[in-house]
Amino acid sequence: MLRLALSTLRFRKAGFTATFIALLVGTAIVMACGGLMQTGISPRVPPQRLAEAPVVVAGDQHYNLPPTNPGTEDEDHESATLPERVRLDASLGAKIAAVPGVAKVVPDVSIPATLPADPDVKLVRGTALGHDWATAELAPYSLTDGRAPQRSGEVVLDQATAAATGVASGGSVQIAVRGGVRPFQVVGIAVAGGKMASDAVFFSHEDALALTPATGQVDAFGVLPTAGTDPAALSTQIANAVRDQHAVALTGVARGTAEFAQASDGGEILVILAAVFGGLAVQVALFVVASTLGLSVQQRRREVALLRAVGATPKQVSRMITAESMVIGVLATVLAAFPGELLGNWLFDRLSGFGVFEPVLAYHQDWIPTAAGVLVGLLSAWGAGFVAARYAGRTRPVEAMQELVSPKRWLTSFRLWWGIGSLIGGVALAYLTITVMDGPLAASTAGPAVTLVAAAVALFAPGITRLMVAVLRVPVRAVSGLSGYLAMANARVRWLPMSGAVVPVMLATTLAVFMLYFQTTQVESAKQKYASNLSADAVVTSSTGDVGTGLLDKVRSLPGVGTASAYVTSKGYNEKPSDSGQDEDGLALTGVTGDAVAKTRAAELASGSLNDLQGNTIALPVDNANRLHVKVGDEIGLRLGDGAQVRLRVVATLRSAPSFATALMPAGTLAPHTTDGIASQVLVTAAAGTSVSQLMTTLDGLAQASPGVQVANRDTLTAKFVQEQEANAWVNYLVVGMILLYAAISVVNTLVLSTAHRRREFGLQRLAGSSRGQVLGVMAVEGMVVAVIGVVLGTAVSLAMLVPFSQAVSDSWLPYGPLWIYAVVVLLAVVVSMVATLFPTWLAVRGKTSIAMLSPE
Amino acid sequence: MYQSGQPSTDAVTLRSVTKFYGGNRARVVALDGISVSFARGSFTAVMGPSGSGKSTLLHCAAGLDQPDSGTVVLADQDLGRLDEAALTRMRRDHIGFIFQQFNLLPSLDVVDNVTLPLRLAGKRADPALVNRIIEQVGLGGRRGHRPGELSGGQQQRVAIARALVSRPHVTFADEPTGALDTTSASEILDLLRTAVRAERQTIVMVTHDPVAASYADRVLFLADGQFAGELHEPTVDEVARGLTALSSRASRLGRDGRNTVGTVR
Repeated sequence: MLRLALSTLRFRKAGFTATFIALLVGTAIVMACGGLMQTGISPRVPPQRLAEAPVVVAGDQHYNLPPTNPGTEDEDHESATLPERVRLDASLGAKIAAVPGVAKVVPDVSIPATLPADPDVKLVRGTALGHDWATAELAPYSLTDGRAPQRSGEVVLDQATAAATGVASGGSVQIAVRGGVRPFQVVGIAVAGGKMASDAVFFSHEDALALTPATGQVDAFGVLPTAGTDPAALSTQIANAVRDQHAVALTGVARGTAEFAQASDGGEILVILAAVFGGLAVQVALFVVASTLGLSVQQRRREVALLRAVGATPKQVSRMITAESMVIGVLATVLAAFPGELLGNWLFDRLSGFGVFEPVLAYHQDWIPTAAGVLVGLLSAWGAGFVAARYAGRTRPVEAMQELVSPKRWLTSFRLWWGIGSLIGGVALAYLTITVMDGPLAASTAGPAVTLVAAAVALFAPGITRLMVAVLRVPVRAVSGLSGYLAMANARVRWLPMSGAVVPVMLATTLAVFMLYFQTTQVESAKQKYASNLSADAVVTSSTGDVGTGLLDKVRSLPGVGTASAYVTSKGYNEKPSDSGQDEDGLALTGVTGDAVAKTRAAELASGSLNDLQGNTIALPVDNANRLHVKVGDEIGLRLGDGAQVRLRVVATLRSAPSFATALMPAGTLAPHTTDGIASQVLVTAAAGTSVSQLMTTLDGLAQASPGVQVANRDTLTAKFVQEQEANAWVNYLVVGMILLYAAISVVNTLVLSTAHRRREFGLQRLAGSSRGQVLGVMAVEGMVVAVIGVVLGTAVSLAMLVPFSQAVSDSWLPYGPLWIYAVVVLLAVVVSMVATLFPTWLAVRGKTSIAMLSPE
Repeated sequence: MYQSGQPSTDAVTLRSVTKFYGGNRARVVALDGISVSFARGSFTAVMGPSGSGKSTLLHCAAGLDQPDSGTVVLADQDLGRLDEAALTRMRRDHIGFIFQQFNLLPSLDVVDNVTLPLRLAGKRADPALVNRIIEQVGLGGRRGHRPGELSGGQQQRVAIARALVSRPHVTFADEPTGALDTTSASEILDLLRTAVRAERQTIVMVTHDPVAASYADRVLFLADGQFAGELHEPTVDEVARGLTALSSRASRLGRDGRNTVGTVR
């Protein structure tokens, strides 16, 4: 059987190529997603600035959530990465230095430092992190020019910063640091040994001590061992020495987490993304491979019938088809390994470029994603082969002798039950999406939901196509004359193969319309929610950390300012009592000024008073308070973002929109427990009788007078928010685009396959006196009918899913988004269908008319 | 007629076979209770006007199609009692087929096409026998050619070789010369007659061509799905006259308003 299958494959290049391409591309996408997933599951963050220190001691960012059901069987140990930098006591350095084998301990501190690009100090170029020059040797940074900073007021810039500001050694530069914008003298330029995620500015040891966000504390220690000391053994000894100091000793690639504690969170996003799109790719691959394989088997019906007539049992025919698909499967999946890894790498770079995760993660994949991809590819080939083989096995031998007629019965029990099953699955997932999922997670169930419904439509496609052909017959004939008449006559008998071409067009349209408008609807609804929850008319941002010290009071005293509140965000975890609904995302915390929010957020207040938000106090969202069974006046134990445990008195409960639910704390209490150590923003509302533009004028005046201060109004803030959302959107566009490209390949595949097969029919038409143009004309109408049916079905399926989703996320039945997206999708579907139909037709009728055209293929 | 316990002298026997086509509303009778048998080592031509049921007769006799009533006995087996797998084995082991066209798998060469039924049966073909038969049908120099590289007549020779190589109980030929020119057709018919005379093969051939039918030992006429006469050792003229008589009878019946070809109530 295998030999028979092989010789058939060699002979049927078109069908072989179509299935091969479908499987190759599908498997490559699955492998790429597998690579992304592996990178996400075990995120690798290579050390950068501390790369030269074989051992790095850093604060332990790992946090075990309190068990949700303590003492029971299903005690659930979730863990999280603390969102703020866990700092170490500077005195720990001496303890580490005392460990035998340690040659040198270098404390590392990162200092927020911003370099204004122009001398007016209005534009902030971007944040560079300042460091003590003593840590430069750990990267290693080496001086290309000048000397090391020795006294206060001296800095060394890295090459990128120097190039961007145009300051050379010996020049002077304004740097916004804690306490204000100060001039520094550039004494040298340094270059990094490797790739660095952020620009660096090096201060003298003296300045570094003064500017550090948390006095007496350091971010990490770089440890240099004496010659001949094994880093792994040393790290164990150091770990023993710093035990109970919430510190960890890191070696190898793990050292990167000391620099980029949050970077591994990007892994989680990667896992979700890879799972969602990998799953989608698997579904599409199954779909596409099944349809190309099915079509190629359909076209060989006479051959299969002949085999049956001369003595092949249904089982033998099935085995032959399965063997064929498995041969293609093995070839395609094995060959996919190379493009798969390339694609994974490429996708990773794009995602990193879109800012989906910090660009410090390193892409890595071993044999597991490749093996998984091969397995998935083979399973798809087998599954698709199984369906096609069942169909082929049912071929009646007598068909070998008859003119081929389309079978009247298409609704096999297989189609019926799988169709109904897919429909139920799709509706269930849609229901889940609407009721349970929110935000970016919704896409993880929305995608599969819509593909399942599309799968159901695909299974019922023959019947639907037949119906649509009947509906379209009259209008098409009315507008396209003889070509239309002939095309519709063809369509009336060829509805079964036609439905095979409709399916990929439908699938591509469904995915495109649904995914793109789902995205735009989500962004729009998030924007509206953001705007309605934005309780400020303007935001003043300071890069010099003076909000706590004087800026807030300064803003308050300005004319026309109604309220002004400090603003800082973080996350915390409920510990006493623990929150059963709490996950690794914890509780959003916002640091504010009590008396100001008492006015701006009065509408949200459920109980208590926000005026009491002073000292160790908190205002909880109502849902949270209910789950904790606490009320105003109770005390709760909270773990803050830097790992500190605090006891806070509940002074109020708040009713807020679920996606913006946050607990409020006094900014002065919360800010010291953040990485920056300070609040950097002031939310301002206009006083009654003052217009927003008047307020903005006043605030702009303040910004002019205070270097390092920026002012933004509502629109700027909303625009910035939308921009952030759109970074996510681009990820969606990228991956949806990739899958669409795949679907488009399958459209071309299917149409080319089904058109090329009709060479004999075109020959007959030509012999009967049709001109080349007339044959092409007929096929153009057929291609158009396929495109129209596909687009109509795709639109119907995507709308059927979009409407409830949009109702769920935005309280409007109408999905939001520009109409041109739809126009482009439709146009592309039509163009691809037409080209894929007409090109092979043209190839077939290009030569001279001869009787040879009538020979059987 | 076939008696149980004793091997029959008939290769195939049809008893009161009826076959309808179409749904309940437009039902067409293709075979109307026909009984006929084909002796071993005979060469029978089945003739009749279009729609007389000759192809259906062939399909039912060969187990390609199931009759709606009546029995078909082939190689001492009642085909109606066999399931699909057993029927397939029956075709593979005991029946040869030659169709008008599309006889061969385009991807296989001459030898592979000839040995296909044997391979499907999991048997090894005897190379000497295969070679002899391929030589016999005059394709000695074309063993490795694919159907696309052969003329229509050559393709039919491959089909004959395939039908002969498994030494079938009976070979059914459906218009085997229908798509050929006169010269090729007579060569093919000679081959078939030789197979019967020299190899003791049994052949049932459906044709509408009196010349083709004249090569047979016996010509069976069908009309309206019923037996309508037969000729033994016929000449072309006799066959042609018989066919004309049948056609005029059919048209007369049509004018008389009685059962037109195949339709019932």
